[in-house]
Amino acid sequence: MPRAFRLPALFVLLVLGCLPLAFDARSAPPPAAPRTLDDYRHFRITAIDLLGRMPTTAEIAAFERSDFDLDRWIDARLAEPGYVERMARIYMDVLRLEPNLLFQNASWELYRHDVLGPDGKPVTIYYRENQRRERPDTDGEFCLSPDETGVVIRARQQDMGTPKKVTQKMLDAATVLVKPWWLYQDYRAATPAHRYGDGWKDPDPQYRPVESLLNGADGKPVTEVRVCREEARAADTGHVYASGRTKALPKDAKLPGGRFRPPPLDKPYATQHQGQELACDTRTALDLAPDCGCGVGLERCVPGDSNNGGNAFYYPNHMPLGPGAPLDDARQSQQRWFPYWWSREAVRFIDDLFASDRDFRDILTSKRTFVNGPLAQFYRTIQRSNCCGPEAQFGMLEESEPLFDPKNVPGDLDPHDVSTWKAVDDRGPHAAGILTMPMFLEKYASARARAAAVYNDFLCKSFSAENQQLAPSTEPNLTIRPGCKTCHATLEPLSAYFARVEPSSFVFLPQARFPVHSTTCKLDKNGKLNGGCNALYDPAFADATGATLRSAYSSPQHADETPAGAAQDITKMPEFAQCAVQRVTSSFLGRQTTADDAALLTSLTTTFVGSGYRMKALVKAIVRSDAYRRSNDLSSSTWRGDAR
Amino acid sequence: MRRALLVIGLLLPACAARPPQIVQPGPSTPMVSAGVVPQDSAPKQDLRMVPPEAYMRTYLQLFGGLAPLDVQKRARGGDGGQLFDTWDDYVSALGLPDYRLDIPRQTQTNALMVATFERLGVALCDRAVEHDLQSKGRPPPPVGERLVFAFELPQGTVDAAAFAPRFDTLHRTFLGYPASMAPPKRGARFFQLYSDVVANHAKDEPKSRFSPIEAGWAAVCYGLVRHPEFHLY
Repeated sequence: MPRAFRLPALFVLLVLGCLPLAFDARSAPPPAAPRTLDDYRHFRITAIDLLGRMPTTAEIAAFERSDFDLDRWIDARLAEPGYVERMARIYMDVLRLEPNLLFQNASWELYRHDVLGPDGKPVTIYYRENQRRERPDTDGEFCLSPDETGVVIRARQQDMGTPKKVTQKMLDAATVLVKPWWLYQDYRAATPAHRYGDGWKDPDPQYRPVESLLNGADGKPVTEVRVCREEARAADTGHVYASGRTKALPKDAKLPGGRFRPPPLDKPYATQHQGQELACDTRTALDLAPDCGCGVGLERCVPGDSNNGGNAFYYPNHMPLGPGAPLDDARQSQQRWFPYWWSREAVRFIDDLFASDRDFRDILTSKRTFVNGPLAQFYRTIQRSNCCGPEAQFGMLEESEPLFDPKNVPGDLDPHDVSTWKAVDDRGPHAAGILTMPMFLEKYASARARAAAVYNDFLCKSFSAENQQLAPSTEPNLTIRPGCKTCHATLEPLSAYFARVEPSSFVFLPQARFPVHSTTCKLDKNGKLNGGCNALYDPAFADATGATLRSAYSSPQHADETPAGAAQDITKMPEFAQCAVQRVTSSFLGRQTTADDAALLTSLTTTFVGSGYRMKALVKAIVRSDAYRRSNDLSSSTWRGDAR
Repeated sequence: MRRALLVIGLLLPACAARPPQIVQPGPSTPMVSAGVVPQDSAPKQDLRMVPPEAYMRTYLQLFGGLAPLDVQKRARGGDGGQLFDTWDDYVSALGLPDYRLDIPRQTQTNALMVATFERLGVALCDRAVEHDLQSKGRPPPPVGERLVFAFELPQGTVDAAAFAPRFDTLHRTFLGYPASMAPPKRGARFFQLYSDVVANHAKDEPKSRFSPIEAGWAAVCYGLVRHPEFHLY
């Protein structure tokens, strides 16, 4: 063979000879990398923090490979739900945004009571408490009078009397049959046909009415519910009603229809504005308009299965791993339905902050939120039923500047779409992160509680009283009262930001109708404010010329800046970023940070702020830090000398 | 009756005559120093518990990635509450916070929590033995489908050499690193535990649903699932 051919042939042979080796190298797993016990430990704690569980043997095997890239692995974990849950837990542990409250006695609650029907069998009727009716026998009461049913029926009260049969004529006059939203997917249709469990295709698996709403006492499926005629009215607007009753009946007067208490008297407003149109989804409508009911398919109301409110839906009591992994399943009170969803809204909002790695300042400043079907129902109509009582005296019959503008609620969510969540980019001009969500406002019911929560949770500061003996004082201004001023000099101006959101509520008091200093509210000759003023203005900061809005006395400016102003001011403070870094670092290190951690915290704060307040940058810096790697290092403490 | 009264009557003066016991205010002789130990002034760190959420997720993973209510169903099996109650019973014992009642997260163990860890661990190990090792007339599932005991059982007696790689599998599963890196006597101690349980279980009584070998592996599993390293991180 000529020499010229020998080299290529040798080359070919070499290549051919090496090919199997090359294929072997590609198919065989890379050799195991030398790992120390600390490496394993670091991998385990990172998995627990970012995956939300201990690593599996397969994940440990992958970690042991020489081509394992920890940075890439961490980046992948930061995009997963385990990381989101881990971060949300840090803030839920401090905010505790779950309800232990009932949202009750509002115009959206439907009570249920049986009467004896014409054939002697029970007939179930839904009704609202305090519903106005034109019949004096039943105005403000159950729609059949005690003379007709034999019993006095009042919400949450024991019946009085002996039931007697109600005639069909009475039933037809006072009640109607409705196909309600909780039974029919197409409840808005002229003739709803898709009933839950019968024709309703693929109902949301998390939407589960209790059996007693689905079936009658005889066990047969309920296809229609009987509702008092006024409650069944579907119009969006009604009219102010004046009965002509302006004076109380004499004490010994016979009450019409055998009713338990006298029929309601006309309020001055009703007399002055008789016939005036008003929206039906307000508290005012319940007080004033018998032609206002629960809307189409009763969508402005929520049923309960008893005269005490009772149960309405199933959902879990405990779900520490999220709604997809509940630990139980329980019948829940009608009055817990919306508080439950307020909590889920807050969690969803916080989850999104971390999942989308948004600017963390959004937790206080964002106008964004997420709603599902029940929340859409709530923000569209139910929240409006919180207003207006004392506010009506100031001319506000319905909320004019709600924290969540109903116009911004997605129109394509039905009340039973509980698993469908939609983003709402702008709740309204007064929205401010979690600060204006019902869950926060109800959990922290007063302006001071709201301020203290913000101060503690987002500035990592707390109020501690000075060691001083308190002397009796009549000074109403706590920012200067000895012994109180230590905390209240800071707390009161912070509280003032929340002065325009009513306590234990989320009704917003607009500046135009409710100036910080009102000259229409003033002390009378007895030194008192009248009823409506007293509810909203502070008699301790009032005189014969005017009164100050409750919680606003220490900083009228803050009151007008509203919670949105608080969010802006607080997130601009350097302590906001420092607090966030401290909270997250402390949580990942599993201990309180100390003065020894100052350098680490400073470095992490620089990283956090430099990244645009993004948590993923902060968390990545933490889990790659030596401090994290060393944290709770059992190998050098518990294990030392231990042979277990 | 009279005789009894007489006896009591005779005994009473004897009791009254007993001298009162004198309690010394201090040791009658000075205590002798047994040694001098330097004071440990090094800063200490609290041990950090695995968050209960992570514990639960791991538990669910070890049960085959099931949902909590499915795990509850499987863990209870046909035994009612003998092995596993309900998750609701364990929620607060595991240290989970209750935001509704403003009950904070537990960061330190207590007796109830330790007992809960033990109960949950035993339920996991027992069900895993049933799933992975018991044939019940059918061959056990392939190794890849086993929940915890992802290895083949050797034929005959298990000696230290056969025990080691299988223990390593369990060690990695529960504690996250090879058994070879553990304190040196750990493997031997677990092998001793295994051998003792197998030997004791081979007796006729008490009756058990597990064979001696199954009981031996279950005991190893109990030891690991209750190990402080499993609950700390």
